Amino acid sequence: MDFYLGLLQIIGVHTLLGLSAYVVLLTGQVSMAQAGFYAIGAYVAAMCTAMFGFHILPAILVAGLVTAFVACIVGFPALRVKGLMLVVATLAFGEMVRMFFFNFTWRIERGGELVGPNGAEGFRAIRFFPENGWETGDVTVFIWCVVAVIMAVLWWVDNSRAGAVLRAVGHDETAAQSIGLNLTAIKVGAMTAGGMIAGMGGGIYAHTVTHIEHLVFGVLLATFAIAYPILGGLGSVFGTVIAVVFIQGFLVEGLRFMGEWRSILFGALIVLAMNFRPTGLLGERMPRLFKPRPSESKLEPKGAE
Amino acid sequence: MMLTLDNLSKHFGGVRAVDDVSLALKEGEIFGLIGPNGSGKSTTVNLITGLYTPTSGTVSLNGRDLTAMPQHARTSQGVARTFQNIRLFGNLTVAQNLWVAQNGHEQRRQHFVSRWFRPGGEHSGDIEELLTFSRLASKRDVLASNLSFGEMRRLEMARALASNPRVLLLDEPAAGASLDDAELLAERIRAVRDRGVTVLLIEHMMELVMGITDRIAVLNFGRKIAEGTPAQVQDHPEVRAAYLGGGHDEKMEKASA
Amino acid sequence: MDYFFFLDLIQFTVDGLLFGTTYALIGIGFTLIFGVMRKLNLAYGAAALAGTYIGLVMFLTFDAHPAIVFLASAIGSGLIGLVVYLCCFRFTPENYPMASLLASVGMLLFIDEVVIHASHGLPYPYPSVFRDAIIEIGDVWVRGDLLFVFFMCVVAMGILFWLLYRTPLGLATRAVSQQPRAAQLCGIDVTRVNMMTFGIAGVLGGIAGAMTAAAVGVLSPVIAMGLTVKGLIVVVIGGLGFIPGAIIAGLLVGAAENIFLLLRGVTERDIYVMLLLFIFLTLRPGGLFGNAQSRD
Repeated sequence: MDFYLGLLQIIGVHTLLGLSAYVVLLTGQVSMAQAGFYAIGAYVAAMCTAMFGFHILPAILVAGLVTAFVACIVGFPALRVKGLMLVVATLAFGEMVRMFFFNFTWRIERGGELVGPNGAEGFRAIRFFPENGWETGDVTVFIWCVVAVIMAVLWWVDNSRAGAVLRAVGHDETAAQSIGLNLTAIKVGAMTAGGMIAGMGGGIYAHTVTHIEHLVFGVLLATFAIAYPILGGLGSVFGTVIAVVFIQGFLVEGLRFMGEWRSILFGALIVLAMNFRPTGLLGERMPRLFKPRPSESKLEPKGAE
Repeated sequence: MMLTLDNLSKHFGGVRAVDDVSLALKEGEIFGLIGPNGSGKSTTVNLITGLYTPTSGTVSLNGRDLTAMPQHARTSQGVARTFQNIRLFGNLTVAQNLWVAQNGHEQRRQHFVSRWFRPGGEHSGDIEELLTFSRLASKRDVLASNLSFGEMRRLEMARALASNPRVLLLDEPAAGASLDDAELLAERIRAVRDRGVTVLLIEHMMELVMGITDRIAVLNFGRKIAEGTPAQVQDHPEVRAAYLGGGHDEKMEKASA
Repeated sequence: MDYFFFLDLIQFTVDGLLFGTTYALIGIGFTLIFGVMRKLNLAYGAAALAGTYIGLVMFLTFDAHPAIVFLASAIGSGLIGLVVYLCCFRFTPENYPMASLLASVGMLLFIDEVVIHASHGLPYPYPSVFRDAIIEIGDVWVRGDLLFVFFMCVVAMGILFWLLYRTPLGLATRAVSQQPRAAQLCGIDVTRVNMMTFGIAGVLGGIAGAMTAAAVGVLSPVIAMGLTVKGLIVVVIGGLGFIPGAIIAGLLVGAAENIFLLLRGVTERDIYVMLLLFIFLTLRPGGLFGNAQSRD
């Protein structure tokens, strides 16, 4: 039972990671920086609880806000970089963050021992959950409450004008500008929102594993982040969730049969998926919240303008 | 004056794409802008919408200087355009294409949260009216990429109207159209004018331009070489030379002298 | 700053410049592929590494002469490059570039893991040439093996230029990179050109991988990510699609990397290289030579 609860936890935090990439991807920005934001959120939240005695909720909120701030700053230079180069830039940013934490040491005396990030060794003793009597089940429910709230918000955004605007920007920036949309505000805004979600996800993640280190937040995680929305399709948030369940569930199940070969499977799976369903499992089209009205008239003069 | 261009110039390095052009559109008129290929018509449109920054000169709308304003701000001032090679949002439906374009002045005064996050806004009365006006009502939930070419062109114009503009810049709306299509296009442009929108029409198709415009300006090599009513412009010798190549005639005259 | 520091600076710069030619080759590979397909092949570094391992097999099983090992690495990478093309770029949609991008990332992970599993994650010795030869220019020592690396890479570039500017294939490649649809209409088989480009880029990558391993003396799977990242930095600084830019940027990155190593040490060196990339991306997104060709 514990195994499945643990799996649900992983799926939960990865869903947040995927959703953070989803928001940014809607505007046409392929960001490999989400793992970097995830890392920042993880370290910040862990520092809040382990070093400064915060409760988990404010810790995660602080992590989200700090990460949102960083993401906002990253969002501006990102505007200057188009398409594929943005992939490179965000990849570089992610690596910079990872290497920063590789070198980052800050330890405080608390309760008779030194706690805090310790460079290459990482950040140990992130023990908020066990120290406060949270069982595996409690944690899982908590994670999925957060996920549900964020998914609901994103679903709402998707079906409102903001969602259509994000997608319009992602499809054709020149046209979007010509109809009066402020590209800077929209793209940086999306990056900030994505950063916040990733930061919160990272903050929760740190507490589920109790020990984080720089190696976890590398290119592989960045790839997962962007793979979820691409694989799931940009049509709706559910695509991303399904992709996470599919990949994490499949990989974990595959783990039983294949042993250590699951990363190989992951790579091969992506290659196959992109050849057979390039627009993702659920496709590109947004499902509509409201039912369409019956057509005004089935008869319309053919063809002519 | 509705839309004024004062000594507008745009140089790309040594190329003078637009060279000291001045225009003044009156409210409610249909103004044509013609000229051979490469004469600077599209560049002029891009200068008015803000895609390009002028090398010198100004663009004003109702006395307000737009020159320093970024593109997206000009929409709220009342400038809208269509694109020659249609740039619809293919991943959105017809109604959604209009929905995202509601960035005009009055529309912006709505409360932020309501404007951006109220669900169901794509079914508003304004959008319905525009769909009916453009005869696209039955296609409201069709993806823009699935429309026929004619429908796409109607949507392109409808989307430009969605922000309730004061001036509409049409960039070669009849490109590739037959004479019959042009007839219907002319009707639509008149209908747009009747809604209270001033129209600047860039076109190659002379039948269309001469038929519906109140006044025309002619560009050649970035400079304005003539301006007046269709009749005046048609008889203008420099205009004829620009289109038919007056240089040859001169050379031939000299040669046979 | 005393004389010895200055001497160190020159020494590190020279070493960096010589080694930078491998980065230049990887950069050229990325740029070639981008040139013809307007797409990034993120599996490129991994493919180069895998080919280098094929050369390693020659070394370990047959105790082959280094020349054979290098050749096997180059050819192996070329073949793997073709496989990458078939898996990630041949059938993915033209108008949905994210598909091929993600596919190439998937391929990168796939190849990386295969190599790690096959080698059990252990590093292996790789033949290096002229290890003990040193040429002294004043107080600066030029390592023989680095000089060999430099020489091989320059020869590779020379052959590439000959291919691009003196053969029909090169002409077709240049045509496709400028106007693919027009090239097709002129009767050029774009698919074949793309395939050959991937193969040639693969060979260049194999040479770069072989030379990297030869310079270090050891071959290990972690080189793949390093090659990929450095290659990307090179194309950003040199300008995507511009071969001379890749060469100059490769030398620059090689030198800069070593200078950072001297100034800040191993652990911080990479942060500064990344920072260099970031600064370039934001201040000069078109690269040092800022070329922006538009095409259909």
